[in-house]
Amino acid sequence: MISGRNGSWLRPRAQDQHDQAREGSSVHRRFRLGTLCLGLVLLGATGCSSMKAPVPTDPDALAEYKAANDPYEPLNRKMFNMTMKFDKWALRPVAKAYVWAVPRPVRNSLGNMITTMNEPSVFFNDVGAGKPRRAGDSFVRWCINMTAGVGGLIDVAKMAGFPHHDNDAGLTMANWGISSGPYLFLPMGPSSFRDGIGYGIDQGLSPWDYVPRGYGLVSFNWAYNMMGVVHGRSEHLEDLDALQRDALDPYATIRSAYQQQRKAQAEAIRNDRRATVPDWYQ
Amino acid sequence: MRLLSGRRIVLATLALTCASGLFALPARAADNAKQFIQSFGTQLVAIVNSPVPLSEKKIKVLPLVQKNVDIDGIGRYCLGRYWKIATPEQKQRYQALFHEVLVNAITDKLGEYRGVSFTIGDVTRSGNEDSVNAILTRPQQPPASMQWIVGYENGQPQVVDVIGEGASLRLTQRNDYSSFIARNGDSVAALLSALQKQLDRHNQSTN
Repeated sequence: MISGRNGSWLRPRAQDQHDQAREGSSVHRRFRLGTLCLGLVLLGATGCSSMKAPVPTDPDALAEYKAANDPYEPLNRKMFNMTMKFDKWALRPVAKAYVWAVPRPVRNSLGNMITTMNEPSVFFNDVGAGKPRRAGDSFVRWCINMTAGVGGLIDVAKMAGFPHHDNDAGLTMANWGISSGPYLFLPMGPSSFRDGIGYGIDQGLSPWDYVPRGYGLVSFNWAYNMMGVVHGRSEHLEDLDALQRDALDPYATIRSAYQQQRKAQAEAIRNDRRATVPDWYQ
Repeated sequence: MRLLSGRRIVLATLALTCASGLFALPARAADNAKQFIQSFGTQLVAIVNSPVPLSEKKIKVLPLVQKNVDIDGIGRYCLGRYWKIATPEQKQRYQALFHEVLVNAITDKLGEYRGVSFTIGDVTRSGNEDSVNAILTRPQQPPASMQWIVGYENGQPQVVDVIGEGASLRLTQRNDYSSFIARNGDSVAALLSALQKQLDRHNQSTN
């Protein structure tokens, strides 16, 4: 079976070329295709213009608009509403069932495993951000937890003085001085142009994507990703419920909290000037 | 020799005293902020961890919060640019509603914080406010780091903001309110009725 990665993307075009050589009506078909493409482009363009929020003229409102950094608010709100609907009817019930069915210690172990499995991505980002001490921490965490921690199920590294720290490509780019770009709400949650690109890079940095086909590890990768989503959601059941109950505009509240948190995270990484040699060595 | 005349020495001593006083001021303010958070925090934790029913804890915590939190100041901040355009009646009603909303938000959390303890870290000054680092420890949960922002607007130290996981509570709240008002035709009245609805719902659920 030919999969997407092995070139099924290319097949329709190759087929089309073959048809052109064989059939005389290809010009007609091309015309129809061209019209379709043009129509799509026009639709996209008109769609995009209504996706941008009008820039306010009042100075105070303008200052607020700039601080929110959300020119694509109408589009983002649509995505937010869709995500929240999906969450309400699918993700939240599954996460609740997960909490109901799986006891806390087991969930903690699964959480440890998910964190450990992501450690390579954190490591590469620590290196990218030029923070050797942090990179050392994540490297040691990966080595200890994958062996002594039974594949990450037990966070032995934390007990040994190497607690987990977060990092991702969005934060690495922030440390390089790349600004966040406009805010975006993506299906996986609040983001920005920079953090969205970072999300893609992080997927590439995860070694689990390079597992050869045909092994059980591919199924493991799927299970791991889905588990990560459900587990992540289950950790925020009460927070998100409270937010949806108490916030008058949950979209704006999430946007504000996200932007502040990302800024603080990037600053925390920038200000981490610990010595490269661990304490016990000195 | 005239350099060391009596008047000059007196003046120099005075200047030095003033200067040392000025240098000592920030340190004293930082100490004040630290002591204030230490005492407020200890009193809060004592109530939270006391073996009395939740309803009693809420009653006990109320005067403490009203005294040590600048609720009116936070309310003004949260209304943002709409504070200028709100009528005096609207401002008064808003402050009354906000007072209740904030106190509910604090007292609702009391039950969750059973067994809590805290340690206070450094104090940093920015503008007229002090930021006091604190680490909260709750049973079976990872320690949470937060900053308490202490202001002196009313002549005494009062909490004006709390920053948890990098997000300022008052700024997040202001963005929530501003966005809501803007999406309801810049109407402060819409915010007031929404807050009233929120309070009614809260009272129904607790009764």
